[in-house]
Amino acid sequence: MKRERCSSYLAVGLLIVVLFATQCGAPTQPPAPTQAPAVEEKATEAPTEAPVAEATAAPRIFVYAHPTSFPELNPATSYSNDSVIMSNCYEGLTFYNPPGSAEILEPVLATAWETNAEVTEWTFHLREGVTFHDGEPFNAAAVKYSIEKTMELGVGAAYIWAPVEAIEVVDDYTIKFKLSYPAPLDLAASCGYAAWIYSPKAYEENGPDWFNEGHCAGTGPYTIESYERGARLVMARNENYWGGWREGQYDKVVFEIVEDPVVRQQMIEAGTASFTYEPPPDNLPALAARDDLVVYTNPSYQNLLGLLNTRKPPLDNKQVRQALSYSFPYAQFIEGVMTGRATQSYGPVPTGMWGHSEDLFQYTYDLDKAKELLTQAGYPDGGFKLLLTYATGDLDEQQLGELWKAELAKLGIELELQGMNWEAQWDLSKSDPKNAQDVLVMYWWPDYISPYTFLYSMFHSEEEILFNLGYYSNPTYDKLIDDANVLSGSERAQATEMFIQAQEILVDDAVSLFFYDLANTHLARANVKGYVDNPAYPHVVFIYQLTQE
Amino acid sequence: MASPRPCISMHRWEYILRRLAMAALVLVSVSVITFFIARVVPSDPAAAWVGPHPTQEQIAQARQRLGLDRPLYEQYLGYMRDLLRGDLGTSVRSHQPIVADIKAYLPATMELVAVGMVMAVALGIPLGVLSGAHKGSLLDHFTRLFSIAGVSMPTFWLGLLLQLLFFGRLGILPLGSRVSTEVALYHPVAHITGFYLVDTAITGNWVAFKDALLHIILPAFTLGTYAIGLTIRMTRSTMIEVLGEKYILAARVAGIPERVVLFVLALKNAIIPTIIVLGLSFVYSLTGALLVEMIFSWPGLGTYVTQAVISIDFPVIVSVTLVVTVFYVFINLFLDLVQALLDPRVTLQ
Repeated sequence: MKRERCSSYLAVGLLIVVLFATQCGAPTQPPAPTQAPAVEEKATEAPTEAPVAEATAAPRIFVYAHPTSFPELNPATSYSNDSVIMSNCYEGLTFYNPPGSAEILEPVLATAWETNAEVTEWTFHLREGVTFHDGEPFNAAAVKYSIEKTMELGVGAAYIWAPVEAIEVVDDYTIKFKLSYPAPLDLAASCGYAAWIYSPKAYEENGPDWFNEGHCAGTGPYTIESYERGARLVMARNENYWGGWREGQYDKVVFEIVEDPVVRQQMIEAGTASFTYEPPPDNLPALAARDDLVVYTNPSYQNLLGLLNTRKPPLDNKQVRQALSYSFPYAQFIEGVMTGRATQSYGPVPTGMWGHSEDLFQYTYDLDKAKELLTQAGYPDGGFKLLLTYATGDLDEQQLGELWKAELAKLGIELELQGMNWEAQWDLSKSDPKNAQDVLVMYWWPDYISPYTFLYSMFHSEEEILFNLGYYSNPTYDKLIDDANVLSGSERAQATEMFIQAQEILVDDAVSLFFYDLANTHLARANVKGYVDNPAYPHVVFIYQLTQE
Repeated sequence: MASPRPCISMHRWEYILRRLAMAALVLVSVSVITFFIARVVPSDPAAAWVGPHPTQEQIAQARQRLGLDRPLYEQYLGYMRDLLRGDLGTSVRSHQPIVADIKAYLPATMELVAVGMVMAVALGIPLGVLSGAHKGSLLDHFTRLFSIAGVSMPTFWLGLLLQLLFFGRLGILPLGSRVSTEVALYHPVAHITGFYLVDTAITGNWVAFKDALLHIILPAFTLGTYAIGLTIRMTRSTMIEVLGEKYILAARVAGIPERVVLFVLALKNAIIPTIIVLGLSFVYSLTGALLVEMIFSWPGLGTYVTQAVISIDFPVIVSVTLVVTVFYVFINLFLDLVQALLDPRVTLQ
């Protein structure tokens, strides 16, 4: 008996150990060899030229080797990596254009929109002749249903509709949103989460489980054909797509779930996949040198900040915060550790987004200047200790901390590094600021694309702490960004100026270290044409825009 | 004088009941431990439920909806009540019932583990027998090296090596997943049992069967190496012991062919410890599948729980732990009973 009992306990212990071991190593990138595996070129043809495909009049198949599974395919609540699926099945009223475009927004299911002078009423004119995948007509009633259902469920990014008080169907193709306070609803409508319009009939009759089993009922160019959880999702063309179809576009889309970055890379090299993201960074130069592959490296809208605790001495002193901002070797870190996968930030609004300005002051590595500021603040030899928290398992953040620790030691400042899971880090930072961390390292990214999501969430005064984890409070700043947000619905140029002014305040107050704007790396076969990275929709490939050569 | 048979039978029943009671106790303990660990570890299921960047109102609503505002013992009782009804709860990340997810992911893992076990039997037992019979020969040295390597080599490393060799260099076996993209598109597998090899055979979908078979070789072998190594070692050592017995000598003297001596007469007595080892390897493989599935993009329980661990989806982690514990406890119980039935020397005390 004793032996069996022991083995049962051993089993349980073993599983727990294995689970936690996996968690410790649960990286954004699983363990990978540092060298590119020597893969023989055995099949460089695109997957569409595979023998099976040839037999059926060569349909064009786009294979996306995707590193994670898709947690939720319900358009009302999806708020995760599944946006790569949703963005090809569903459409919103508007679309946020990639950086460098003439206009910020483009019409999709809405053809035109306008707001009143107070920016409290938005009217959208809808596209006619559009049908959902289930054959139901797209109209104002469907828009009202979709957004109201999303708001009612209140999960994920549903809060983007928080200003909406009432939705009124004016006629079949006109819809009016009445807001309780001014907000740029055209931007919210372009969001890659919580802004999808879906067939009310399909949602009512089938319920959320039907969507999660691998069905869709949107208006997008592709529709889900089959789905095997954790393995693959297959999409076929929506032949009735309102945009029509042209020569060379893909007939089928397959999302293959492949966690290991080396395996994803091998699939692209062998031609069994067309596209992937985050290949092993060390292998990028070798991959970029090949003629049959293309490496896309573009800025994302995700940036890394080190929020400074403005309520706890000595960081409640602006000069000390400025000194810290001068003490980090930005260029060295970006070149040495990030190997080109990032650029130093200008303030909190990432590069490429409206409201970003390269005229903002940028702190550089200057220990003499830091020393001078510390002396002025009354800490000529440092002599204090700081606690920095970062996300466990993020090697970039860990190395950043270690490098900075060495630099701060030169100024007589002791930096203690503590890796924590996000929830623990967040719990600590939401406690009393006097007992909380001194520096909190975290990434931020937008839901809908407005500088306000960065400037409000992390730096606007908060009664109850949520994401202002440096506890910054400045009424002038608050008013500036609140006013700019109201204007961003109607006077976007003026709003942009005001958002930049607000960032000048933040940079001067040195409320945070603005480490870097992260770049996204994508790897594709060279015969995939027309791909443009759009950081507003991270890692999404709008397959309708692509053709195969 | 009463026959001893009913007496043994009564012991057996008593033993089974006692073991079942112990099993229940282990399961309840595991449920308590996992439930409370999930609550003690700093994480906020309500925040996870609403997703990144939530508002205060969203978190408060979710807390209420998930019952996190109730006292801990009430939460545990509710959890146990659901558990007894076969409801493992809802994933905080995907908002979907965990039972449905486990039903979707479990067959892939079971198929992988089963094929790994078949390999262990098919390779491990003959190699163990031959190695034991020809102790000190070249074959014996090779087999011992293989078994030690099999037991000690980390699976993730072996998996990558096999991929590099059989996919990268030789190009004869696929890199991962259960079937190739082309087969998924043009010869889709009907879902009957969830075991692709079985489903494709039942429906006569031989293109997909061949494809599925090619896909399972590398991951099953990677997962099975531990069991293969252990089987070889166990079979070899018991064979050496059995072959020294007088009845084997008698059989050989009687001129019974060596093949029969080894694989029938000797193996019959040497097999019991091997069966036990195989059984334990089976459940061990369920946890070993975690890494193997990740490397081979195998959509099984390991992939599922890995994603849950990465996103700190505690209801899923707790449920999978419970499911694996159930397997462990019952397979252990089953093995002990089998052993008692097969080997009269084992007492039930």
